[in-house]
Amino acid sequence: MNFVVPDFYPAAAEILVAVMALVIMLASTFARRVASDLAYGLTQLTLVFAALVSVLVSPNLLAAVAAVISELPLFGVRLAEVLMSLAEGYAANEVVATFSGMFIGDMLGGLLKVFSLLAVAIALLYGRGYLADRKIDRPEYYLLSLLMSLGMMVMISANHMLSLYMGLEMMSLSLYGMVAFDRESPRATEAAMKYFVLGALASGLLLYGMSMIYGATGSLELSGIAQSIYHQAANKTVLVFGLVFIVAGVAFKLGVVPFHMWVPDVYQGAPTAVTLMISSAPKLAAFAMAMRLLVYGLFELADQWQTMLMFLSVLSIVLGNLAAIAQSNIKRMLAYSGISHMGFVLLGLLAGVVDGDRNFALNAYSSAMFYAVSYVIMSLASFGMVILLSRAGFEAETIDDFKGLNKRNSWFAALMMIVMFSMAGIPFFIGFFAKLSVLQAVVAAGYVWLAVVAVLMSVIGAFYYLRVVKVMYFEEPVDSTPIRAQGEVRFLLSANGLAIAVLGLLPQGLMSLCAYALLASL
Amino acid sequence: MLENYFPVLMFILVGLGFGLVPVILGRLVAPNRPGSEKLSPYECGFEAFEDARMKFDVRYYLIAILFILFDLEIAFLFPWATVFQEFIAAGQVAWFVFGSVMVFIAVLVIGYVVEWKNGALDWE
Amino acid sequence: MDFKTLVFYILSAIMVFAALRVITSRNPVHAALFLVLSFVTAGGIWLLLAAEFLAIVLVMVYVGAVMVLFLFVVMMLDINLDRLREGFWSYLPVGALIGILLVVEMALVLGGRYFGLEAMPEPPAVQAGYSNTRELGRLLYTDYVYPFELASLLLLVAMVVAVSLTLRKRKGLRQVNPSDQVAVKRGDRVELVSMPAEKE
Repeated sequence: MNFVVPDFYPAAAEILVAVMALVIMLASTFARRVASDLAYGLTQLTLVFAALVSVLVSPNLLAAVAAVISELPLFGVRLAEVLMSLAEGYAANEVVATFSGMFIGDMLGGLLKVFSLLAVAIALLYGRGYLADRKIDRPEYYLLSLLMSLGMMVMISANHMLSLYMGLEMMSLSLYGMVAFDRESPRATEAAMKYFVLGALASGLLLYGMSMIYGATGSLELSGIAQSIYHQAANKTVLVFGLVFIVAGVAFKLGVVPFHMWVPDVYQGAPTAVTLMISSAPKLAAFAMAMRLLVYGLFELADQWQTMLMFLSVLSIVLGNLAAIAQSNIKRMLAYSGISHMGFVLLGLLAGVVDGDRNFALNAYSSAMFYAVSYVIMSLASFGMVILLSRAGFEAETIDDFKGLNKRNSWFAALMMIVMFSMAGIPFFIGFFAKLSVLQAVVAAGYVWLAVVAVLMSVIGAFYYLRVVKVMYFEEPVDSTPIRAQGEVRFLLSANGLAIAVLGLLPQGLMSLCAYALLASL
Repeated sequence: MLENYFPVLMFILVGLGFGLVPVILGRLVAPNRPGSEKLSPYECGFEAFEDARMKFDVRYYLIAILFILFDLEIAFLFPWATVFQEFIAAGQVAWFVFGSVMVFIAVLVIGYVVEWKNGALDWE
Repeated sequence: MDFKTLVFYILSAIMVFAALRVITSRNPVHAALFLVLSFVTAGGIWLLLAAEFLAIVLVMVYVGAVMVLFLFVVMMLDINLDRLREGFWSYLPVGALIGILLVVEMALVLGGRYFGLEAMPEPPAVQAGYSNTRELGRLLYTDYVYPFELASLLLLVAMVVAVSLTLRKRKGLRQVNPSDQVAVKRGDRVELVSMPAEKE
């Protein structure tokens, strides 16, 4: 028996989240009177600390963050030194694998973990008032969101089909529970049912594909699979057969056409706070899953999966934008817009390999990652606005509810305008640069027609985003209730909206961070 | 190896035969004259007024699902019982294995404590 | 054809038949019971592959526990069969097309060409004293410790969701609290009053 006890250090953030989930579970049970507040506070603390720890255990990410901090005035340089010294004594490997190769610690993983943990924290903060108004802010909600984050972290750091699948299921199960969390609402229950049944089907497809790949390569470890395919030890037909199912499973989790049926119904039916959650961090996790499976494991089959992704992305961009025009419900509209945005992420992923030439890969994948991250920022802000407008007994679900927002509160109307402009890809907001970098990658790969289709559809898509702006600025308010929200929600939502504008003016930092993460990890 | 299961197979076959043969014999030998009254459901003499299947309380479901979870937990612990001697013989690894199983159990015990405290096991 | 192959074919035939009946039978309870049958035969096939532990777990967990749950659910829902069947014919062409496509694909890939004995080496015969359970145990708590611990957390998620979605406290029930009963002291129930004797 030649087993070496694994190194726990690279998985420190995961362990922290798991332990804290148990602590929160016990604490909220035994301190029943303050359970909800206690669980909320501890969850937020855990998320922030886990993000910090994710930075600390990833040497490259730490160096990048320290470089940014040392630019800051006052104690910047000193702080950066302290940060660096914290991680000293640990071998600064670029990529570490532990738990018998099931867990991989690299900068890509570290960065995606930080973004998704922060996205969950922001989503919880926006959603807290909404949940309290509807009397569903039970401690279990926060516990589930923490366990969902754990699932996402496991997915992001997976180097083995088994750990990837466990992470995926942990994330999905928690999400199903959160969608159904409002037991009194039949719509939420219906949405949860649809989500669960279709999600289980997609998991089944994914598992089937994984077992085919295992049958062909004899390995469940992603790097082992890649090697086996590289040495042509595996049968191509079986591999492609498995690949079809894997792509279908990934496409479902990303929510792209034709595996998008659940997206509008779930977004509309779920409580808005949960919609906010589903539409943000899990998209990053799904992106990580696509990266790990397709790029890390099945890179040798890039020609095959790129064609499949092309099909998926064109359909999603076309159908997502066209269907969004017809929506009067803003949650549904944003759902369809999310479908088309995910189509853009796939556009980035499919431009990596051209005629066997891999020089495009880094650029293409980093543009896809940049798109995914900017979509999450925009999605948080847009659903945050929907939550802001709703109050006890009233859901601001239709576009008409945004009528005359400018007269009710011109600051938030301006923020919503920024978000809508950015989603439409109008310069100079972050959404514009996200679209631009993806399109550049696509054109560089030689798919000019793809870029033309994407641009045309984005122009059509601009219509429904601008309609929201028009309704806010040029129509009379139907309901003149003043907008009430806690200070921190106002503050963070403003910061979120402004981040879209500021990052739009200075996109270089985030872009190069994504590129650097991929460079250090691939 | 597989020969060990031969008695089981025989047992299944005998069991099947024991169940099926009387039924088939009855079909073949006994007189069969069905009538509409004979085939109608019988409920203490009056007309049946509801479906035999009725709604269950959702609490049965909760108990059943909790049972499944702990059933699975036990399934995960079975292999441990068979190999732990080997691990002890191998030395240091035994502590790691012991620890990993204890963590596994601890997580579920915490779940158990919480659901007990929350009243999920009460039958009101 | 040796005896083992014969048993395999019999079990497979029963399993395919049972699986077909699961989706074709009109009565949901019958469908659930046919699912039990297909699980049991699948367990038998695993036994033939010398995967005893998995076979036993399949029977124990799926037949013993999951199917009980299925039956509860079937009985809990008031399923209106006629309404369920409403869209059947309009969905049939698409469903049938996809189904046929899948079957053809599977037949092409899973046939002997790629997974036959020429393509795949025959697994070595198990030695006497081989125990599938022990092999699993050797790996599960060492190399696979990460997914193993994740599994416990996954079960925890299921527990939290199940409790938070189905547990309802009923108001106004009269019930006794056993721990209060046990904790009762004499002083709580009996009060000794000293009073002077009184005359009529």
